[in-house]
Amino acid sequence: MKMLDPRYAWVRRLIALGLVLGVWEAAGRAGMLNPLFAPSPSKVWVALVDLFADGRIWPHLEATFTAALGGLALGIVVGVLLGVAAALIPLVAELLEPVMSVLNAIPRVILAPLFVIWLGIGIASKVALSFILVAVLIFFTVYTGIRQVDRKLVERVTTLGGNRLALVRHVYLPSVTAWVLGNLKVAVGFAFTGACVGEFVAATHGLGYLLSFAQSTYNSALMFALILLILVVVMLIFFIAGRLERHLLRWN
Amino acid sequence: MSLSVGEGSFVSLVGPSGSGKSSLLRAVIGLQKPLSGTVETTLSHAEIGLLFQDDALLPWKTARDNVALGLTLNGMDRGKALALSDTWLERLGLAGFGDRFPRHLSGGQRKRVALAQVLARQPKLILMDEPFASLDAIVRSRVVRDVAALVERGGISVLLVTHDLEEALTLSDDVYLLSQGPRARITQHYPVPIPRPRDPVRSRMHPAFAPLHERLWADLSLAVDHRAEAV
Repeated sequence: MKMLDPRYAWVRRLIALGLVLGVWEAAGRAGMLNPLFAPSPSKVWVALVDLFADGRIWPHLEATFTAALGGLALGIVVGVLLGVAAALIPLVAELLEPVMSVLNAIPRVILAPLFVIWLGIGIASKVALSFILVAVLIFFTVYTGIRQVDRKLVERVTTLGGNRLALVRHVYLPSVTAWVLGNLKVAVGFAFTGACVGEFVAATHGLGYLLSFAQSTYNSALMFALILLILVVVMLIFFIAGRLERHLLRWN
Repeated sequence: MSLSVGEGSFVSLVGPSGSGKSSLLRAVIGLQKPLSGTVETTLSHAEIGLLFQDDALLPWKTARDNVALGLTLNGMDRGKALALSDTWLERLGLAGFGDRFPRHLSGGQRKRVALAQVLARQPKLILMDEPFASLDAIVRSRVVRDVAALVERGGISVLLVTHDLEEALTLSDDVYLLSQGPRARITQHYPVPIPRPRDPVRSRMHPAFAPLHERLWADLSLAVDHRAEAV
């Protein structure tokens, strides 16, 4: 078999995508596809442009972003704090581990209705769902990470005269940063999942809310447009997270 | 068992695996409590350097930051520590490698960084536990030569644990043989009459080397054979 030149993989992929979209569009125009199920790419594009043209998308984008990024930040902070506490204080670990294990085992989005009852249909319930998705992930990352810190590095810094503070600063903190960054992309995905699912359940704003609106009105062009939009948004954040990770973990 | 390391002398411990050589070193630096007996030293912790098989450099710090860390942890200000770090890296043949992270250095280079970290602190005693075991032959002989020269010039005492009899004899003033554990004891003491300053490679040609090596080898094999019989 002839080897493909990996440098041009993106060209081949682009062509393939173009072909699929072309066939899809042609089939749509020829009336072979029911627009209720599979609107042609041009219709999706029009719906997407529409969303931005009249500006009504912005408050929704803002709502989802705020909820996702708020939950992400809060989840990372709390996850790191609890993870560190559990790793260093045996009693905390004893009490927290079963709770976190249960939270880790269940699909945490089932908590969405509960958060709506507790916190209302505003942004707070979405932040809470994002938060709980991210915090549990980060907790385990940090907790298991700290317990697996290379003993030799701890010994080395100790024998060089380092006290506990020096250990935290030169060994534990950089290790924790590395693990959190290593899971940052997963956490970003979780944060947006939390925000959107929260908006499905009950909301007045947000991309998830728009999606459920599109579903209830059988507006599949709008639905496709929104899926595309969320895809682009998350890819963008993945890209930024990737750059951040590469820069901060350049030693790795 | 009893063993002492005089000022400026190079002492090696050889013995079968499991004779507690490493435990002994760890007890000296306080990483491990001796089961019985005492460690007496006139030196403070800061005056004792450690060089183990694993170079244990912090992977997220550059070579110069790793070396400087050993100084700043003892209270030196950062600017001065970095300058001194560069001096020592240069002295160990690593000029221009200061900004590299450990991952981007070869095994020999990492060992030199670890050595710079130890030497920059101007220790009076260095404890070495198989420090060169992970290096390949050529790199190893070069690093060993540099270590020997720097230690000799600096008047630093060394307590070296090694499996390598040649290394022990060419570097040391005194070699001690430990018996098989548990309850390992020092069974033999071999003063090495090769004059200083020494070149570890040329020391092998000294007339005292071959007979000593042979004796040491025979005694060590006996110690290991005993174990085999016991099993």
